Amino acid sequence: MALAIALLVLASTAVLAHPLSNRLGRDAGYPLGALFLVSLGLIAFDAPTVLDGGAVEFERQWIPALDVAFRLHLDGLSLLFAILVLGVGALIMSYCARYLSVEYDHGRLYLLLGAFATAMLGLVLAADMVLLFVFFELTTLASFFLIGGQGLGSAKPATRAFVITATGGLSLLAAVALIVSVVGTTDLTEALERSEEIAASPQGPWIAGLLILAAFTKSAQLPFHFWLPDAMVALTPVSAYLHAATLVKAGIYVLLRFSPPFAGMPGWTIVLVSVGLATSLVGAVFALQQHDLKALLAYSTVSQLGWIVALIGVGTTAALAVAALHTFAHALFKATLFMLVGIIDREAGSRDIRELQGLYKVMPVTATLTALAALSMAGMPPFLGFVSKEEAYSAFLELPGPWGWVVAGIAVVSAAVTFAYSFRILHGAFGGGKAQASLYEPHWSFLLPAAVPAVAGLVFGLAVGSLNPLVSRTVQDTLMVETDADLALWHGFEPALYLSMVTIALGVTLFLLRAPVGRALDRPLLPFTGVQVYEASYAGVQRLGDLVGRSTRSGALAPHLVWPVLSVGALAVVGVLFVGELPVPVAPLTRTGDWLVVALVAVGVLGTVVTRNRLGAVSMLGVVGFLVAVWFLISGGVDLALTQTLVEVLTVVVAVLVLRRLPRRFAPAPRRRVVPAAALAVGAGLAAGLAVLALTGRREPSPASEVLLNQGEELTGGTNVVNTILVDFRGLDTFGEILVLAVAAIGLLALLRRDAPADASSPDATAPDAVADTAAGDRTILAVASRVLVPVIVVISVLLLWRGHNEPGGGFIAALVGGLGVALVQIPRGAGARSRLKAVPLLSAGITIAVLAGLLGLLRDSFLQPLKGDLVIGSFSQSFTTSLIFDIGVYLVVVGLVVAAVDRLANGRVVAAAEATQVPPSAADLASMEEPTGERAVVRR
Amino acid sequence: MSAAVLVAVLVAGGVYLLLQRGLVRVTFGFVLLGHAANVLLLAAGGMSRREPPLLSTTDPAVAADPLPQAFALTAIVITFGVSVYLLAVAGNGGDDDAADAEADPSPARMTEQGVEL
Amino acid sequence: MNDLIPFLLWLPLLGAALTLAAGERVRLQRAISFTVSALVLAYGITMLTLTSDGSVVVEQVAGWPGGIAIPFAVDTLSALMITVAALLVLASTAFAVFTGDDEDRYFLPLVLVLSGGVYGAFVTADLFNLFVMIEVALIPSYVLITRRGSASEMGAGRIYLTVNLLVSTVLLAGVGLVYGTTGTVNLGELAGAATESVGAALAGGVVLVALGAKAALVPVHSWLPRTYPFASVATTALLSGLLTKIGVYGIFRVYAVMFSGDERLQTPWLVILLVTMVVGGLGALGESAMRPILVFGMSSQVGYVLLGIGFFGELGLQAGIFYLVHNIIAKGALFLTCGAVEHEEGTGELSRLGGVARREPLLALAFIAAALSLVGIPPFSGFVAKFSVARAAAIEGEWIAVALVVAVSLLTLLAMMKIWNGVFWGADPDEADHSFAPGASGAVPDHTDPMSSTLLRRAKVAITEGPPGGMPRGLILPGLALAVLSLVLGLGADVLLGLTGTAAQGLVDPSAYVIAVTDR
Repeated sequence: MALAIALLVLASTAVLAHPLSNRLGRDAGYPLGALFLVSLGLIAFDAPTVLDGGAVEFERQWIPALDVAFRLHLDGLSLLFAILVLGVGALIMSYCARYLSVEYDHGRLYLLLGAFATAMLGLVLAADMVLLFVFFELTTLASFFLIGGQGLGSAKPATRAFVITATGGLSLLAAVALIVSVVGTTDLTEALERSEEIAASPQGPWIAGLLILAAFTKSAQLPFHFWLPDAMVALTPVSAYLHAATLVKAGIYVLLRFSPPFAGMPGWTIVLVSVGLATSLVGAVFALQQHDLKALLAYSTVSQLGWIVALIGVGTTAALAVAALHTFAHALFKATLFMLVGIIDREAGSRDIRELQGLYKVMPVTATLTALAALSMAGMPPFLGFVSKEEAYSAFLELPGPWGWVVAGIAVVSAAVTFAYSFRILHGAFGGGKAQASLYEPHWSFLLPAAVPAVAGLVFGLAVGSLNPLVSRTVQDTLMVETDADLALWHGFEPALYLSMVTIALGVTLFLLRAPVGRALDRPLLPFTGVQVYEASYAGVQRLGDLVGRSTRSGALAPHLVWPVLSVGALAVVGVLFVGELPVPVAPLTRTGDWLVVALVAVGVLGTVVTRNRLGAVSMLGVVGFLVAVWFLISGGVDLALTQTLVEVLTVVVAVLVLRRLPRRFAPAPRRRVVPAAALAVGAGLAAGLAVLALTGRREPSPASEVLLNQGEELTGGTNVVNTILVDFRGLDTFGEILVLAVAAIGLLALLRRDAPADASSPDATAPDAVADTAAGDRTILAVASRVLVPVIVVISVLLLWRGHNEPGGGFIAALVGGLGVALVQIPRGAGARSRLKAVPLLSAGITIAVLAGLLGLLRDSFLQPLKGDLVIGSFSQSFTTSLIFDIGVYLVVVGLVVAAVDRLANGRVVAAAEATQVPPSAADLASMEEPTGERAVVRR
Repeated sequence: MSAAVLVAVLVAGGVYLLLQRGLVRVTFGFVLLGHAANVLLLAAGGMSRREPPLLSTTDPAVAADPLPQAFALTAIVITFGVSVYLLAVAGNGGDDDAADAEADPSPARMTEQGVEL
Repeated sequence: MNDLIPFLLWLPLLGAALTLAAGERVRLQRAISFTVSALVLAYGITMLTLTSDGSVVVEQVAGWPGGIAIPFAVDTLSALMITVAALLVLASTAFAVFTGDDEDRYFLPLVLVLSGGVYGAFVTADLFNLFVMIEVALIPSYVLITRRGSASEMGAGRIYLTVNLLVSTVLLAGVGLVYGTTGTVNLGELAGAATESVGAALAGGVVLVALGAKAALVPVHSWLPRTYPFASVATTALLSGLLTKIGVYGIFRVYAVMFSGDERLQTPWLVILLVTMVVGGLGALGESAMRPILVFGMSSQVGYVLLGIGFFGELGLQAGIFYLVHNIIAKGALFLTCGAVEHEEGTGELSRLGGVARREPLLALAFIAAALSLVGIPPFSGFVAKFSVARAAAIEGEWIAVALVVAVSLLTLLAMMKIWNGVFWGADPDEADHSFAPGASGAVPDHTDPMSSTLLRRAKVAITEGPPGGMPRGLILPGLALAVLSLVLGLGADVLLGLTGTAAQGLVDPSAYVIAVTDR
């Protein structure tokens, strides 16, 4: 329970950050730091249990469905890291209170630091792998915003760091998923108890690899190391906390935590040790190269992390003990150094090591503290850094065979370089004459946070034995073996001691030769920087993405339309390969008469395809349409044929209305297009034909059709089965269908504004006069015709509507006939004239009536269920169903569409106002909504 | 068989027009494809029984399957509605492949369009 | 409840008729639209509670016997889809109120018809009716994309109309062939049909191809990034959340019922879906404006959603459906937040934007939350979605799938960072040329120090631009609400996972659905 409370207390710092900062300004750091200590106290409350070998646990349900729970536990390893997170955190918060300038967005910084610390504590306390992943990513996230600051110059470094570490997070996620696939639970403790299974499973190596990737990215190992120096654009306190003590240690923690399955695996050892040492060496050299103190410390951190990774790779109890100890030691001296660099920077206004000549003369305390930390980093006795280095040597020497000495040798070199740059800092602080006379010692409150860990480094060095319980507990809980660390300042004359001496000797030499060494290093050591590599590969991915997108980047239709065709074609090929034996048709499907229609259609289609003349194409299309109607007729589809004919007429009318505005002839197709198009067309035709051949006409009449034909009449009272299907059985389809028509009509109204006669509209100007003349001629003829025809047509259409239930007819056919009438009335009137019929009322009335007719059905049972009744007027009696009302709705919608089409296609045009697209759409709408008819409202917010 | 050939012809013509420049021809292509789909629907009901399903005059035993006819009828009307709108677009600036970016498929161009709003 | 199901269709359509009649009176239009969507949302939630035990509510519309009537069926999957769809319609409509889209008297009626068609498609258990419902949803989208007739809209509209019309024709033909082979279009009667005869499988295959094209699966994905980004921002948000998802839903349903998750097809599925994930992820990275990036990414995420089809099992489908819900919400939030920027700044091109985070912190927060959710970073819904997909793939032993699930997430991360750095961070547009300092390794630009003069200068710039929050809150809130919802679904994932689990069971063993639909 205490664990959860500790976490909550820490989280509260994030919540309180803004309120406190608003009241106290930068001093908010003190109360917040105090909260860190409270949290630490709560953890410490459980520490004895842990040190006695127990473990403290806490569990609450979270996502049972994935068996993910909010599991926390505290063991040695967690305790060690928790102390670092909270202890250093408290120091940093109080350091911020002095470091930050008075006018700064303190609330934001404190909030992010608090959030980060919470995530970090959660990470080390998590006893559930998913929970661990969550906190792992949250630390990444918090550091992203901490580094990014205002998102100006630091945006790119922050993004690089984020992408690298988030990659690690994702691979951690994959690792967790794989582990779950082995052990079937996300419970960390249980998973680790079944380490052998994990190690033995085929996923084992992958899991190890993914975990290593996660750790290396987070802990800045080669080749991902570059993000850490890059991230130095962050505020110094942030660097001190994240990039020295905690965030970068998350990777170390993950490696330690997941050691049990893999420790001792050759692959694990080889990778960790080799990469770790390489990183340690390269980092150290880079550090030696730097003049900017902060950059120096960053590379130094990279180097030290490599050192720890190598120790984890060795995997023996002794090695892990040192790894734990060095993690602790490094946090102490590196945090100190960062804080001091911040102080020096603020006081001396520079971080260039060359400008710090004789700092001790003006800032003795600062200089002394710097010395303490630097000496510990250099590994001088009696500091903690010395102990951890010495122990490390003995650990390395445990490696089998010659490897022990090889590794130890490299380690010595790396340590020597470390020694050298540590002394460069010392020399910077103490050597030379007074350079900065104007400086003075900062206030003690600014120094105190840095002083604590600096002194601790010395104290713990002298009394290193006091760390034994914690360290041995850590090792035991990490490897789950019984062991006891015996850390001591003096181990007697052992190989390790001689190695230490060599190290110091080498280090001193390097330091004394600093002038030539500096010249030698004062140039790029590699032809490229990590950042350049990152940016290059990012640009590469970008180019690849652009390449992938290019195929889609065409405004032409064909490049998009071929894909559906090809997909169906592919399916057809599969079909031909796999279809196998097909049932034989139950009865002859073809009749001789069919072929005549087919042949004529073929001719019509060919004509439509080849002609360049638009009107010619339309008429050919019309011919094909009528032939298809004939086909329907000989297939027994009377209503179908009727509908097809009427639709064809209307389509032609519409097409002609549209074509009036377009050039008379089609643009000739480019040669290069004809052949592939033709080939694809033939292929598609073949596929479709085969599909019909293979997949139709090979079964008995469907049960549904039997029911419809045999019981249709008694069920609906209608004898025209097709129409009973349309209005009764599948009224829902018809319902949807009229909506399509209604929306098409709305589309015309929305797209084509009726604010100017079409003839004035620009496209028409391009149309040849001849068309206009003939159009005029047609008009007079039509005008005469309409006077005679229209009344007749209206009567017919009403009759058709009435009788539709029993004989061919019905709402659609009737309405299409009526629509023809409307067309006949409208078109002769020519441009500018408007119909007495308004589209919008027709449409909304039509839909409403259809819906209401359907709702009547709810009186009985169900939406759209028809109610039968007898309509009696005097002697005249007629059976009647509500589906007739539905049909009226259909009728109105169809007429509405025709009205809208005739009106807008003849007289409307696109209002190009929307072209002014750089102005916000609302404005564009307002412009395009100016309609003399006042048909549209202009509402302003 | 005849139905299959008819569908093949209509689809071939339709697809060819689909791949031409200019929305009007493409629309004509869709009209042909629409016919093909409706012929296919009727064929799916079986072309052996072809008497119109009017119970007052026809013996159910020889009547054509009415269900696909209803489907086709619905499809015809839907195709009509969409074609009308398509033609409207074609007749008002959408027709010629003026917006044809084949010439210059650079991302810049498309995003220029992308931000036009 | 069952005879209320058609209400999902007729209420929006009645609403459409009324809003159409309301014409000029935009406030009345808004009132009607919001009432309708709110009622549908309430209904969806009710149905969720009713079906959460795995039961299926069915209505044989117009009361005809099963097999003749068109069945409307609601199980957990349908109820989920309806609820999320209604939610998105509400958010986008609210957004449209502030972008001024709905001052076009035809906008809200069109949106209502569209939503009605979508709801219908989610509940119908009849293949031909599915075709009709899809058309009802599509044709308003045609108009919504082209209605303002700008050159770019017309250019996009031609592609959008023709591709969808073609795909619809394929769908219609597929339905016809299904009837030709099996003699029925009733999903219940089609149960397992494809496993019994190759003919039926091929016919069903045509249907699946059409649905896959609607869902923008590779190779039929090219149309999506060339059409959606060109409509008004509110329209894009609406379409992205609803239309492609009909295809996804249809694939789940048809493949589960008609193919019973046929093992023989699993490898082809995996190939298509994984390729789709990768292509979508890369393509998004290749774009250079906000909405094209987001839209191209949609293909990628559809790949994630359907991945469960590739190893047809309860875990995978549960993960996939969860991912679907998460994606609709997170993506909606992204479109609405980016849309808000685009609406205010008049451009979506990254190179012409910058510094929005300093001017509109709240909006930036909403965006980054949704973006991280999309990438799969905790604690947002996306991480549960990603993890459960990866977990399912791992348990099914699909190692390549696991690898790609992670790798493509990285691509998504890069794409989201591209937007974040281009639009929300970085210098303000006016000084875009000298925006980023080269973050050379080790070199430390001093302006990150709190004392830095650069920072103070920036601060002054920010101040002269006026206080943050100049943007109307109404543009921010819809996106923010969805982002918050994504967070809630991440922290409280269990409820949704329970529901998606039930939905997945319904797909793995559709017997309950089949019995209900066939009414036998």
